[in-house]
Amino acid sequence: MSWKTVIGLEVHSELNTKTKCFCGCKNEFGDKPNTNCCPVCTAMPGALPVLNRDAVERAILMGLAVGCKINNYSVFERKNYFYPDLAKAYQISQLEYPLCLGGGLEIEVDGVKKFIRLNRIHLEEDAGKLIHTSHGSLVDYNRGGVPLIEIVSEPDMNSAEEAVAYLEKLRSTLLYVGVSDCKMQEGSIRFDVNISVNREGEPLGTRTELKNLNSFKAVLRAIKYESARQIEELEAGRPIIQETRRWDDEKGKTYTMRTKEDSQDYRYFPDPDLIPLNVTDKYIESIRQKLPKLAPERKKEYISLGLTEQDATLLTNEREYADFFEAVLRELNEPKFVCNWITAEVFKKLNALEVDDRKITLNPALLAKMLKLYKDGEINQAGARKIFDIMWNDLTANPEKLVNELGLKQMNDTNELRAVLERIVNDNPKAVSELKAGNEKTMAFFVGQAMKATQGKANPKLVADIVRELIK
Amino acid sequence: MITIDDVKKLAKLSRLEFTDEEAAKFVGELEATLKQVDAINKVDVSKIDLIEDTINADTDLRRDEIIPSLTSSEIVANAPEREDGAFLVPVTVAEE
Amino acid sequence: MKYLDLSLSEVLDLLNAGKVSSVELVTECFDRINETSDLNALNSTYKDEAIKRAREIDERRKNGESVGALAGIPIVLKDNINYLGTKTTCASKFLENFVSPYSATCAERLHAADAIVIGKANMDEFAMGSSNENSAFGAVKNPVDNTRVPGGSSGGSACTVAARQCFAALGTDTGGSIREPSSFCGVVGIKPTYGRVSRYGVVAFASSLDQVGPITRTVRDNAMMLNVISGADEHDMTSSRVSVPDFTSKLEAGVKGIKIGVAKQFFTDALSGEVRNALDKAIEWYKNAGAEIVEIDLPSLVTALAVYYVISSAEAASNLARFDGVKYGRRAPEYTDIVDLYFKSRTQGFGAEVKRRIMLGNYVLSSGYYDAFYRKAKRVQKVIRNEFNEAFKLCDVLISPTTATTAFKLGEKANDCVAMYLTDIFTVPINIAGVPALSMPCGKDANGLPIGMQIIAKHFDEETIYQVANAFETAHKEDK
Repeated sequence: MSWKTVIGLEVHSELNTKTKCFCGCKNEFGDKPNTNCCPVCTAMPGALPVLNRDAVERAILMGLAVGCKINNYSVFERKNYFYPDLAKAYQISQLEYPLCLGGGLEIEVDGVKKFIRLNRIHLEEDAGKLIHTSHGSLVDYNRGGVPLIEIVSEPDMNSAEEAVAYLEKLRSTLLYVGVSDCKMQEGSIRFDVNISVNREGEPLGTRTELKNLNSFKAVLRAIKYESARQIEELEAGRPIIQETRRWDDEKGKTYTMRTKEDSQDYRYFPDPDLIPLNVTDKYIESIRQKLPKLAPERKKEYISLGLTEQDATLLTNEREYADFFEAVLRELNEPKFVCNWITAEVFKKLNALEVDDRKITLNPALLAKMLKLYKDGEINQAGARKIFDIMWNDLTANPEKLVNELGLKQMNDTNELRAVLERIVNDNPKAVSELKAGNEKTMAFFVGQAMKATQGKANPKLVADIVRELIK
Repeated sequence: MITIDDVKKLAKLSRLEFTDEEAAKFVGELEATLKQVDAINKVDVSKIDLIEDTINADTDLRRDEIIPSLTSSEIVANAPEREDGAFLVPVTVAEE
Repeated sequence: MKYLDLSLSEVLDLLNAGKVSSVELVTECFDRINETSDLNALNSTYKDEAIKRAREIDERRKNGESVGALAGIPIVLKDNINYLGTKTTCASKFLENFVSPYSATCAERLHAADAIVIGKANMDEFAMGSSNENSAFGAVKNPVDNTRVPGGSSGGSACTVAARQCFAALGTDTGGSIREPSSFCGVVGIKPTYGRVSRYGVVAFASSLDQVGPITRTVRDNAMMLNVISGADEHDMTSSRVSVPDFTSKLEAGVKGIKIGVAKQFFTDALSGEVRNALDKAIEWYKNAGAEIVEIDLPSLVTALAVYYVISSAEAASNLARFDGVKYGRRAPEYTDIVDLYFKSRTQGFGAEVKRRIMLGNYVLSSGYYDAFYRKAKRVQKVIRNEFNEAFKLCDVLISPTTATTAFKLGEKANDCVAMYLTDIFTVPINIAGVPALSMPCGKDANGLPIGMQIIAKHFDEETIYQVANAFETAHKEDK
C-alpha cells in the first residue's frame, strides 16, 4: 500500500503597522540594537502592554480576506518560557479565543484545484534577536513586540508542492490585503511545518514539527526530506517520535531539536494586563469595507476586458502586478496590448531577480507613454524594447525624449520606403519568386532586409504592404 | 499528594534551585497551602462562565502612532553585562 | 511647633498662607527620619534633591506662580514604584541596584502636583508578605511598639507615615498590603477600586489584584492624595475611564441615612475580643449618628483566601519571570551557560517567600492542574464578586475589622506561612471582588496597639467610604 504524507502549516507573518503591538515604539528593525525600545518592549519592572488598534484591525482584515469567522470575544494570553530574546519571559499570544477562526484558501497544483482549510488566525508579538559573537550573544529587542499574525492551517496538504502552492497563495493574499511586507530574507514571514505519513486508508501517523523555515525552497526540500525520512523509519520498523526538528539548509537534513518528553509547559493563561476584546459586528463590517479587491474579483474583471484566463491569472498572482496593470491601463486603455507587454517584457525582467527583490518600480504613466508610441506605430517592437530596457533602470527616463535621442522614430514615409524596397526586390529575384509562389515566410526576409537598410526604423507593416504591391 | 519529584519539576519550570532539604520543606508547605486552596472546590460554580468584561476593539485601543523610544544606552543602563547598546549573555543557540 | 504633628491638609494651608516653607517641612522630615532610623522604614532617601525641589516650589509660590495641588508636601513612595532616576528595589536583592529609567504614572502625577518625593519605603520583597519581615534590607518595626511588626507588605509606607517622617505615602495592595499595615500602625490607608489608579510603572505582583493607594494620618489627607493619583491612563489598559470625583467633596456630609452593612462572615471566632469590642462600639456609634445597620450575608467570603492564593501566585509566577538576569538586576557571578545563569541568578536574587509563591503559581498553571486550580479559582472569584454586588444593593458600605488581631510580635509568624496568610483573611476578599476599601483606626487594645476598621463600598464609590470614615474620625479626634 502506498504512503500518504499529511502536512499542516503554521505561518508567522509580521504586520506592517507603524508601531509595535503593545507599545508606541517604531515597528522597524535593522536599526542599531535597542534603539526602537522602551520600558514596555524590554520588560522593565512595572511596564504594561497597551494594544495597538491597527494590529488588531490588520489581523481581522486578513481573516476576512480568507473567509474566517471573526470572534466577537477575543482574549490575549501569556505563553510562558525563558529565552533571552523574550524580554518578559512570556509571549503575549492567543490560545482559546483567537481573533479569527476557520476560513481557507484554494490552491492549484498541476491543474488540480484543492481547498485548504484554515484553523485560525491569531495575533501575537515577535521576539527580539540574538546576535552571536565569539564571546557571547548580544540581545537586541528592536524586533521584540512587533505584531505578528500566526495563520494555522488544517492538515489538508499532501505534498511538498501543495504546501508551497498554499504558501505562495497565502503570501500573495497577505500582500493583496496589504497587512504584511512578507520579506522572507528579513524573516518577516516564517513557516513551521507539521508533517506525518501513514499508509493509505490507515489512521494518521505521529507527526514531527519543522521549525522556522524561511523560504519556499526550504519548505519544499524539508518536507520532501522529512516525509522520506519518516517512511524510511517506518519501513524499517522504527516508530516516529513526536518531536520538534530543525532543518539544516546546508546539509539538506532535519535534526531533533527536542522531543515531546522535554517539550515545554507554556502555562498559558489570560494576560491580566490586557482586557478581553469586544469586536462588534459593526466594527467587523467597517473593516470589511476596507478590504481591497482581491485576486478572484480582479481576475473576473480582466477576463471581461478580453484577457485570457491564463493572462488574467498571471496578472493577479500578485497584487503588485494587478495594481501596476491597472495603473498603466488608466493611461492607455488597451487591455490586451498592455497585458501582453507586462506578461512578456516586465515579467521577464522580474524573473531575473531574487524573489524578495521582485518589485516593479517602473512609473506606470511613463510605461503607458512608451506603449502608446509603440501602439501608434511611432516606434516598432525593437525600438520599444530598447527604450524599455533603459526605462527599467532609469525610472525617470522619458520615452518621447529617448525616441528622438536614439533616433528610433519608425520610418512611416511610404515613398522613402518604396525606394529602399525597390532596390531589395530587384536584388533578390529568388525570394520574390518564392513569395509569389505563396511562401509567406519569405516576407520575414524582406522585412529583415528593410530593417537592416533603415537601421531598424522601418515600419514592418508598411514594408509588407509595399513589397506585395511591388511584386504584383 | 505532593512529592519531592513534583517540587523538583516545579523548580525547573520556575528556574529556581533548591537543596534537598529546602525541597523537602517545600513539600510540606505546598501541601498545607493546597489544603487551604481546596476551599475553592466547596463553591458551586456550575452556572458560572469565564467570559470576562471587555473593552471595545474599535474605540478603546491605542492609536498606531509612534511614541519616541528611549536611547539604547538608557535601555541597557541596568544591564549586568552589555556591549554596544545590546545586552550580553553567554552564547545561546537558537531554540524557539 | 512640630509641623509633622499636623496633617497634610493643615500644613498645605500653612504653606499656601506663607506661614511655613516647604524647605522647613523637608528639613523637619529628615531630622525625624534620622531620629527614628531604627524603624528601618525607608530603603532610600533623597535629601539634597528634595531640598532643592522644595526651594524651587517655595520660590514659585512666593512669586505667585501657579503650583500643584500638593505643592511642597514631602511624601514617600513604596519601593516598588518607579520614579525616574531613583532606585526601585522592591526590597529584593535581585533589584538592589536597579535605577528606574522611567516614572510610574502615580509618581508622575504626584510629581506634577508638586509633591516632593523624599524617599522610598521598605516593604516585603516584591510585595509578598504581611509583616514586612520578608525584606532583603531587614524588617521594619512598628512605630507604636518596636518589638512588633508594622504589617505588610506596605509596612515601610505605613510606618513612615505613622512615625511622622513624612505627610503621606503610597503603598500597593494586592491582598491587604495597604490596609493591614495601616491597621497595625494606626493610620488611614485605602485600596481603591481596581482600575481607579494606574498600575503603569508599579512593579507587578498580581496584575489583576494590585492597586496603588495612599496611606495618611487623616481621612481628608487620604482623599486629597487619591484625587491626584486617580484616573484613566493611556499606559494602563486596566485603568478605568470612570470619571474621578473630588474625593473631598462629601467628607462633611455625615452618615444620616447611610446604610451600613455588617456581614457575620467578617466577625468570626478568629477575632480577638478587643477587636470585636472596638468594632461593636464603632457600629454602635454609627447607629447613634443616624446610620442604618443592615445585616448582610456573604456566604463565599471564606473561600476568598483560597482564590487569592491561586490567582495571585499564578500571576506572580509569570510577572516575576522577567527577573532572569539578562536585562537588569542580579546576575549570578558564576554560571556555565544561559540556563544556569537563569537558575543561579534567580535562586540567589529571590527570598524564600517569593520563591514559594512562584512555585505555587507555576503549580496551579502547569499542564494538568490549570483547570482544577486557575480556572476554578477564576469562577469562584466571580461568585464572590456577585455576592458583593448583591450586598451593595442592600447597603452603602460594609464595615468589618481590617485584621483579626492587632500587630503581632516580630518573628511570631515568620516560620508558619499558613498562619501568616491567614492574617489577610478580611482584606483579601476586597481585592478578589475589586471593590474599594479603607482601613482607619477605631481604637486601641490594652497594649495601646491600634485596631483597624475596614470600610468597603461598591466599585468606584470611594467617595462614600471617605464620607463614612470622616464622620467617625471627626467624632473620635480626641481619642487619638
